[in-house]
Amino acid sequence: MGEGKSPTEKRLVEYAVERVVDETNTDTKILVLTRRDGLPDSFPIWIGAAEGHAIKLALDTTLTPRPMSHDLIKSFMEHLNVSVRRVVIGDVKNSTYYATVYLENNGVERTVDARPSDAVSLALRTHAPLYVSEDVLARRNTANLEQWLAKQAQKSSSSEQEVRES
Amino acid sequence: MITQMHLKGLMFDPYNNAYIVVLRDEDGHEMLPIWVGKAEAGAISMALENVAPPRPMTHDFMKSILDAYEAKVISVVITDLNENTYFAKIHLMYQDSEYTVDARPSDAIALALRSNAPVFAKESVLNKQSSEELEQWLENLKPEDFGKLDS
Repeated sequence: MGEGKSPTEKRLVEYAVERVVDETNTDTKILVLTRRDGLPDSFPIWIGAAEGHAIKLALDTTLTPRPMSHDLIKSFMEHLNVSVRRVVIGDVKNSTYYATVYLENNGVERTVDARPSDAVSLALRTHAPLYVSEDVLARRNTANLEQWLAKQAQKSSSSEQEVRES
Repeated sequence: MITQMHLKGLMFDPYNNAYIVVLRDEDGHEMLPIWVGKAEAGAISMALENVAPPRPMTHDFMKSILDAYEAKVISVVITDLNENTYFAKIHLMYQDSEYTVDARPSDAIALALRSNAPVFAKESVLNKQSSEELEQWLENLKPEDFGKLDS
């Protein structure tokens, strides 16, 4: 369980999930977040293939015949009357991002430590807002980002198929 | 009637490119194979091997949420088999009330293992899934198809 500072103590920027991009030749996907306030900024987070799939299902509001893992989490929360207030990506250590899920039940708030992929997957399914702390934005790993941007530039210059999901 | 099942093993099915969770009853009379995806198999295998990942995996996160509000997994029941899809129910105890939640068996088992909760199968499911079918399938397997988890 995380003991993340409350959002009033941390300066937060609201983000939205833009899309999930396939990384060719690897078992990872890239979760791309964009700022809600419209300022140009793409925030990519490398996640596992299964986690990427779970986010894609929520983004596309795909109905699966059986509940997927994050649907089950949502179902638990509905049964227990727990809601997701917000998700905050509030820390980064050794290129690993840390998220905190803020929960509420009858006025009782709890925070749970999570990987950003799980936190985002749940936020999308519960329509909870997603924030990134300014601290994380300042400290994020730009090496990965630059590499990724270079790749994106290559892609758009070639006539390869567009991977945009939205 | 329900029968308590134990996780006998987890193996790779090279023909379907999927994994099989093999449940068996106490005296070994009943076997229940459940085909699951790669991610779900990973979630079950981590709990079986007691691997503590550096970051919480999806089912660890799931359990953290239940723990945060002191909701407890009492048991898991594999309730139905319909066109090769298995259905499970997770029984939760929360604030002196019991809740029953619909789940895929893979999620239910991954959570049961993390919560030390027993797994049961309904008699009707065991009857539907004749173990002959599994035995035939097992006979066709080469020894190297077995994962290290199989005992």
